[in-house]
Amino acid sequence: MSAARVVGSAWRSLARSRLRSFLMMLGVIVGIAALTALASVGEATRQETMRQFKRMLGTFDTLTIRPGAGSTRGMPSLGSVEPSLKFEDGPAIAAGVSGVKRVALVQQAFDVDVTYRDNASVPLVLGVSPNWADVRGESVVAGAHLSEEDDRSLARVTVIGADVARDLFHGEDPLGKVIRIADVPFQVKGVMASRGAGPGGSSLDNMLVIPVTTAAKRLFNRDYLTTLVVQLDDASASDRVAGDVRALLRERHRIIPPAQDDFTVGSPRATLEQISKVGSTLSKVVTGVAVIATLIGGAVIMSLMLIGVSERRREIGVRRAVGATRGDVMRQFLVEAILISALGGAIGVLFGAGGATVGALLQKLPPAYMWSMIGGSVALSVAVGVVFGLYPAWKAANVDPIEALRS
Amino acid sequence: MIEASHLSRTYRRGDGTPVTALQDISFTIGAGEFVVIRGASGSGKSSLLNILGCLDTPTSGQYRLAGEDVSALADDARSHMRSKRIGFVFQGFNLLPRATALENVELPALYADASPDRARARQLLERVGLGARAGHFATELSGGEQQRVAIARALMNEPALLLADEPTGNLDSAAGESVMQLLTSLHEGGRTIVLVTHDEHVASFADREIVIRDGGVASDTVRQRGRPA
Ligand SMILES: Nc1ncnc2c1ncn2[C@@H]1O[C@H](COP(=O)(O)OP(=O)(O)OP(=O)(O)O)[C@@H](O)[C@H]1O
Ligand SMILES: [Mg+2]
Repeated sequence: MSAARVVGSAWRSLARSRLRSFLMMLGVIVGIAALTALASVGEATRQETMRQFKRMLGTFDTLTIRPGAGSTRGMPSLGSVEPSLKFEDGPAIAAGVSGVKRVALVQQAFDVDVTYRDNASVPLVLGVSPNWADVRGESVVAGAHLSEEDDRSLARVTVIGADVARDLFHGEDPLGKVIRIADVPFQVKGVMASRGAGPGGSSLDNMLVIPVTTAAKRLFNRDYLTTLVVQLDDASASDRVAGDVRALLRERHRIIPPAQDDFTVGSPRATLEQISKVGSTLSKVVTGVAVIATLIGGAVIMSLMLIGVSERRREIGVRRAVGATRGDVMRQFLVEAILISALGGAIGVLFGAGGATVGALLQKLPPAYMWSMIGGSVALSVAVGVVFGLYPAWKAANVDPIEALRS
Repeated sequence: MIEASHLSRTYRRGDGTPVTALQDISFTIGAGEFVVIRGASGSGKSSLLNILGCLDTPTSGQYRLAGEDVSALADDARSHMRSKRIGFVFQGFNLLPRATALENVELPALYADASPDRARARQLLERVGLGARAGHFATELSGGEQQRVAIARALMNEPALLLADEPTGNLDSAAGESVMQLLTSLHEGGRTIVLVTHDEHVASFADREIVIRDGGVASDTVRQRGRPA
């Protein structure tokens, strides 16, 4: 019997008992729909997390260097920052390590009050070098970024984030206005473009920047940095550059083995890989659950097929009497199981993708579909049909036609 | 056509005790004969027909069909024999209930290495007088009609041998008569027919009668058709 005729005949047989066929499919539909939906929602969430990190970090082609051995956890405070990263470390890295495009200097202040007339706010206050905006890819919606001249002259100027503009100025034009940062007057020079939400959905706009020289000498009297942001020529050289930077800093800081580094080189890329690994662990669990659901669907197919085989003994006998071999009968039942399961899988994928779309829209995320998972789901449903159809098909093939035909 | 020599068939009951259904049966049936097999219930008629139809194999003895020794054929080879050479007609019709009359008639073609031939199936339905019922499901047909569809099905692959086990057993006399008339006309068309029956009148359509008693051949009589021996 040709393959097309086997499939055609199996199809007719399924079409003749629609309710049973549907019931057989149900488990696979549910399992595959869950698999597709959960995977796609997970993918949409993962993509959103990536976007949040990207917004926070500006770019991924950077290394960040922080003081300390990196073992401190939780929110840093002034007291927890080691004074190990010096201003000169920045230019030294830019000059001494190949593959480094530029190095931005950052000195973060903690718990600084910012006021404008009666309005007060406690934003993140960063002293930054003039190249910071370029490294981060920040742009201004009004005014200008900090300049080299601002840096050299220790100018008391600031560029504020969208939240600060809103909280202090309530719609008033901030440009040229004087605000007080830790009671020192600064003139607003620019307003940064909104960056939206970062990881966890918190705003990335509640911040302002001032020249790092001003911060160090006029505001806080500190000669050390909280972060060096190293921008790479080529992000794929990240590991090599990190090694070179480390070697250079150890030399500059006169660290001799076995003494530990007094700084930590971090890579957003590595962090992100970590995050997507966590994501994939979760999605493995979710996938496992949905696969089990699909297997239960397979078991349902098997039990209903077995009932079908005993109900269709006479049909099997007739087919055998008119010339069907055991193999023909086996193929027929196996193909029926595979058709049922694959059809269930296809319907499940449609429902799952639909569910994922709704789910993503409810979370206000652009929907994402995990195509590999969808392909895998279809393959899984076919495999389920084969595995769970095999035993009933074997049973059917071994029905004794004489027995089955006795009237 | 059929050469049976010293056929025996012993079944095993569930508890392992042997039941001898057929013992040392020998006869030959020539091409074109219309033979009726008679005997009391339990005498072994169906057991014999199953062997003749290649559904079963004898425990001992030899069975040759169209010159080929089929007594020791493997399962698949016997399927092919049934497909090519044998048409079955059963007491209980055994049509596929969820298939139409036409689909039922076509069924044997599915397992022959032939291309599906809907036109031929239609023709056969016309032949048994059911051209107008082609699209009806088996369950929508009367017993007599179902049996005629079953005969059309048995003819689908043009088998040389038709085997019928009590084909009129479930029919009233009028329907039974039309089925017998149909079989007679097939016989006249050259088909070899072996028919199992209890019914004296049905037996009268055949031109030879083999009586089975306790699994053995009790008598084998050639007679003038239409006149009981
Ligand atoms: N599968 C089997 N297992 C055990 N015994 C069997 C089996 N099939 C048939 N027999 C026995 O073999 C004997 C012959 O049975 P068979 O069905 O051939 O008789 P029959 O002549 O066709 O009877 P009937 O006229 O009632 O149809 C009976 O005693 C029956 O009980
Ligand atoms: Mg019988």
